[in-house]
Amino acid sequence: MNSPLDQTRRRFLGQMSTGLTGVALSRLFAAEGATPKGTHFAPKAKQVLQIFCPGAASHIDLWEHKPLLEKFHGTPLPGGEKEVSFQGKNGNLMRPPWAFAPAGKSGKMLSTMLPHMARHADDIAFIHSMTSQTNTHGPGCINMNTCFTREGYPSAGSWVSYALGSLNDNLPTYIAIQDLRGEPPNGKANWSNGFLPARFQAVAMAAQQPLRNLARPASISSAEDEAARDFLRTINREHEQQHPGNSELGARMAAYELGAKMQLAAPEVSDLGGEPKHVHDLYGTGDANSLKAAYARNCLLARRFLERGVRYVSLYCASRASNVDGFLNWDAHKTLKADYERHCPIFDQPTAALLMDMKQRGMLNDVLVVWCTEFGRMPTHQEGTSGRDHNPDAFTTWMMGAGVKGGVSHGATDDFGRRSVHDVTSVYDFYATVLHLLGLDHEKLTYYFNGLQQRLTNVHGHVIDKVLA
Amino acid sequence: MTYSSTSVMASLFRASSSTSAAVFLSQLLACGAEDAVGLAFFEQKVRPVLVEHCYACHSAEAKKLKGNLYLDSKAGWEKGGDSGAPVILPGKPDESLLIRTIQHLEEDMEMPPKKPKLPVAVIDDLVTWVKMGAPDPRDGAKVAAKRGDKSWWSLQPNKTDLATAGSIDDFIEAKLKEKGLGFNPPADPRALIRRMTYDLHGLPPTPEEVEAFVKDCETNTRASKDLIDRLLASPRYGEQWGRHWLDVIRFGESNGFERNFIIDDLHPFRDYVIRSFNEDKPFDQFMVEHLAGDVVGKGKPDTEVGSAFLVAGPYDDVGNQDPVAQKNIRAATIDDMVTATGGAFLGLTLNCARCHNHKFDPIPAEDYYRVRAAFEGVTHGRRVVATDEQRKAHADAMRPLTTKLAALNAKKEALDKKIDTRAKTQFAQMKFTRPPVDRFGTDESFTATEAKMLRFVISGFTSDADSKAKPGGLGGRLTEFQVWSSSGKNIALATQGTKAEGAKSATAEDFPEAYGPQYCIDGRLGEAWFIGTPSVLTLTFARPEKINRITFINSRAGKEDAEDDSKVRGATPTEYEVQVSMDGTTWRTVASSEARQPYTEALGIVMARRTVITADEKATLAGLEKQIAEVNAAIARVPKLPEIWAGKFAQPKEKTFLFRGGDPMKPVNEVTAASLNVLDGVTKPYQLSADAPEGERRLALARWIVSQENPLTPRVLANRVWHYHFGTGIVDTPSDFGYLGSKPTHPELLDYLAAKLVANGWKLKALHREILLSRTYQQSSSALSNPGMQVDGASRLLWRFPPRRLAAEEVRDTMLAVTASLRLDPMGGPGFRLYKFTQNNVSTYFPLEKHGPETYRRAVYHQNARASVVDVLGDFDFPDVAFASPKRASTTTPLQSLTLMNHRFTLDMAEALARRADGPEAVVTAYRILFQREPSETESGAAHALLAKHGLRALCRALLNSNELIYLE
Repeated sequence: MNSPLDQTRRRFLGQMSTGLTGVALSRLFAAEGATPKGTHFAPKAKQVLQIFCPGAASHIDLWEHKPLLEKFHGTPLPGGEKEVSFQGKNGNLMRPPWAFAPAGKSGKMLSTMLPHMARHADDIAFIHSMTSQTNTHGPGCINMNTCFTREGYPSAGSWVSYALGSLNDNLPTYIAIQDLRGEPPNGKANWSNGFLPARFQAVAMAAQQPLRNLARPASISSAEDEAARDFLRTINREHEQQHPGNSELGARMAAYELGAKMQLAAPEVSDLGGEPKHVHDLYGTGDANSLKAAYARNCLLARRFLERGVRYVSLYCASRASNVDGFLNWDAHKTLKADYERHCPIFDQPTAALLMDMKQRGMLNDVLVVWCTEFGRMPTHQEGTSGRDHNPDAFTTWMMGAGVKGGVSHGATDDFGRRSVHDVTSVYDFYATVLHLLGLDHEKLTYYFNGLQQRLTNVHGHVIDKVLA
Repeated sequence: MTYSSTSVMASLFRASSSTSAAVFLSQLLACGAEDAVGLAFFEQKVRPVLVEHCYACHSAEAKKLKGNLYLDSKAGWEKGGDSGAPVILPGKPDESLLIRTIQHLEEDMEMPPKKPKLPVAVIDDLVTWVKMGAPDPRDGAKVAAKRGDKSWWSLQPNKTDLATAGSIDDFIEAKLKEKGLGFNPPADPRALIRRMTYDLHGLPPTPEEVEAFVKDCETNTRASKDLIDRLLASPRYGEQWGRHWLDVIRFGESNGFERNFIIDDLHPFRDYVIRSFNEDKPFDQFMVEHLAGDVVGKGKPDTEVGSAFLVAGPYDDVGNQDPVAQKNIRAATIDDMVTATGGAFLGLTLNCARCHNHKFDPIPAEDYYRVRAAFEGVTHGRRVVATDEQRKAHADAMRPLTTKLAALNAKKEALDKKIDTRAKTQFAQMKFTRPPVDRFGTDESFTATEAKMLRFVISGFTSDADSKAKPGGLGGRLTEFQVWSSSGKNIALATQGTKAEGAKSATAEDFPEAYGPQYCIDGRLGEAWFIGTPSVLTLTFARPEKINRITFINSRAGKEDAEDDSKVRGATPTEYEVQVSMDGTTWRTVASSEARQPYTEALGIVMARRTVITADEKATLAGLEKQIAEVNAAIARVPKLPEIWAGKFAQPKEKTFLFRGGDPMKPVNEVTAASLNVLDGVTKPYQLSADAPEGERRLALARWIVSQENPLTPRVLANRVWHYHFGTGIVDTPSDFGYLGSKPTHPELLDYLAAKLVANGWKLKALHREILLSRTYQQSSSALSNPGMQVDGASRLLWRFPPRRLAAEEVRDTMLAVTASLRLDPMGGPGFRLYKFTQNNVSTYFPLEKHGPETYRRAVYHQNARASVVDVLGDFDFPDVAFASPKRASTTTPLQSLTLMNHRFTLDMAEALARRADGPEAVVTAYRILFQREPSETESGAAHALLAKHGLRALCRALLNSNELIYLE
């Protein structure tokens, strides 16, 4: 219990101990036996921002440059003729629809479709050798969030909440910000607490979607609400006095006090009106493209959550499958060029602005940023189309911010991006690294459920040293 | 360790590295001292290699044992690791996993890991050693890991003689005495009736019931017995305990995974569960019906429905084309059935033996595949579940109708053929002066004209000749519609102030813009308008413009990089008129599709038909179509045979194999349906042949699970009953009686209860009665005057009745009950929903803001879709049913307080309670209804103050949030 984070938490609790909240929090923890487990060693990061582009955003069209793919465009993938993947047969190799260009001092080759993101190239650690357990979106998304393809396992954000607890006393610990276009594949299972207790689930909140049940009903005046809460306090106190030996009673009273604080804090944090115009312009919240503007507002909201001590924020850019492939998300099966010319501009400026804004504010000293998608895409075009099918054998993710070494690339796929071949990496390794940066040993963070001491990383995972600062 | 001829052998061994193993072996055998020589070889050539290269991960000293494999003893390699088989087969190096891994012949298992291959000479030595029979002197070494073996407590035969020994209270009191503790005094009658009513019904008692019971206790020594009898006889009992069971067997009414579609016909199974509890159906029979209801109850729907247990879990149905993925999905689908079966009935985590032998329990991987073999022929889906009479009646009603329909269809086809023959001839003679429509862009030019509005009225599509094309599926689509001004500028752009209107054939509720006509004027290909009915696109320009041309495009990409038709999605308009207007009332046609070459010959014939068909033929066809429609309507009126989601069964086409590492691409050896090794020696084993009928496999498994000798099944069930009565089981991991589960606090009591259960013919009600009548159950929950709190804060020893918070359903049902809003009928049938379900390829579930009165049924009747997250239930730990939930969490969060204070449901309930309690004694009435007691002076004073200032609703809202309402003592 001597890690810096524990000290922070203790200080934080100590500061509040004069007020009701301090008592309330500790009672809440004590009642559940859910006191945060604490770190295993000194952490580099205290918070996490996860940016998720669902639909399998193509590694070879965005992040990982494959010159041979351009050279051998239109010829068969060596050894992969007529390969059958998720939607069926594959055609010949297909080059990315746009050029790549060197970015930053590192000269990292990135797609020219992401000009704003390119400015962060020197701060990003790319992981080019990711592999997935599945070629299907829904299971793929939850695999990227929980390390299991099956529903029912806790998301990384829930594990982190379980391990480290809250950094604030008036907002949720873990927030999932979904896209205006809807939920990602497999929906709410992506931020589920799984078998961990319900308090570790993410709270869904976005610029377009306030926290459910937060607002006092319109027909109730604040005076009435106050009076009702006062009365409730009185009768609960009396009831508690008559029923010693049940710590849950006090915990529930504390939960009402915390809920009241949240009721005040959440609207304040969600109100973007106080942000200066230049910040709005930086993010693009007023963009004519309504989807981009909506995502930009969510980026800004993410920063505000993190500033106020939300431990883990998941931010989604795009959503689920629809009747048209690649329409609501990055799933470009048939018309890659047209699809990504819609998705990239939505993603690029707001995300880059969020990273820049956090960097300028010094937030990246505490916040670890990770970018994910569920898997990659084939280097070939899908037979009869100019899109790409699913590729679970290769994809890119990246990290940035607290504890991360910028301007490096870990691992690589083969010449065409078909398979990860150098320093092959898994979702387990990815989260072993995330937990490591948070001061947690992924093999020691466990919870008993259905016959096993369960772990986020199942029975696998190695920290990816190369991305550590 | 001593051995002979050291030096001679040593020289031989040195030679071995460069000599072929066979030659060397014969030399050795010629020595006539196999044993000694072999052991010497081991010491000199093998042990050092094992120590240097293997022990770090495969020995008792390993920092972390890998693959569960010990190589520091003979027993270790004989037992094998996760593969579940010996890693060395003496004499057979080619089949020995250890050799194969160091030869790098096993994918993903190259040894030593992440290091260069061992030198050839070293590998040869090990091969030689295995050929020699793998002599190994290392006996007695540690193979015992931290794990259970067959002597594990739960695998021992049940002590059936206990059924007549002592009583529940004796067992409990004995343990209490060991700790110097004793029972609490009895609970007061009010607390007791509240406890029992919630326990057996999940609902609060009425004030009248409480009053009557309190009085009864004063005079009637059998008062609590009478109460228990009344509660057990009520159908509310089955609703409460059936709900518990649905948790145990991971019952959910959507398929989960990406599509998560809702299942609307699983409710008969839920009703069957409730009915079975109410009837006190023997549980052994109930479990057999779960696994093989279709076999034991053929033609008896009430029994057959039990098999829905097998398919009540989540499964992936996304339609993967990748053959490896398909096998994995199938493996995962059956895994859900194996997991559910092991957990619910046996308390075994069989699923942990899918990839290797169970790491903690003596369950070999083969056991997992024996159960898989039983389920190999089960698939998810619905099937007809009907009586023979129903089937016959249905066939009788259908026969004349289908005969008639066939005759009419034949007539129509003959006539169609006749007309089409003439249409073809006509088509061959028709002249078209203009090219066909182009899906990548079709132009229509016309004399320049002034227009404020333009509409595109579509009457035909490229899909018209395709009988399978359906509206809303691959219907008509346009990605862009351009209108050109005389000066050559496209004015049909939103950025130019143009507005587009038109019906769409698809919607996405969570994304209202999707598929709309505005995509025709967004200046980009890509998104399309899904053309609805009427098929009219109406454009209104910012101001009147002089225009002379339009272009409509169906493609999602430019023609320049189009290699094929697939970029064109949906159908393109082929027949249309372009009309203009200044005022939106008077329209003038400026262009049309007239004289365009048909898009295909088939479409041309469709057009030609219109010109060649005679009036008589038209009338005859219309007549036939009318008759066909009538017959179809009559068919639709015949009551369908009841189809329910109870699984589909077929003789498996494939054999069952043990998969190495759980990987379906790595089959090892064939496995057939059989009893589990883990209980060999305790139960009577069976083994079916590879071609055993599908149903027989499930029935055999079911019979074995409930067989007399099986110690697990009654123990697990008795423990569940205890768990739900006291909040914690005697074993507090109710679906895991293995090594990682917890050990029983009162092992003899558990066996006593199990024996009683079986002696009672597997009926639960007798067991409930005995438990509820015990002193243990009826004691007070107070912590005031018992030292138990210091010794046993969690009350596991039961020095008091453990207080508990209500479960999610109980919280909600209580609010409905105390406000007199609860509707007890219908008791079953289709469930209600506290979410809005939408489907657009995948499903989305939106929690409702307002819960209408149609939802005021008991929560057990909620249609329980996976990942639907309903706040009023989910906040209070209602589990998402991705997995079984053998025990509920009970957490306290600020979100609960926000939900219960602010959700419209609370407000509606507060208003209902206010109406019910209204009157001169409102405070007293409300307290009596909610808590079945009078308010104290403090409470009364505070309540009246609130009432006076803010009214009765404010008081009721606060009371519904009180701790007393949702905590039981």
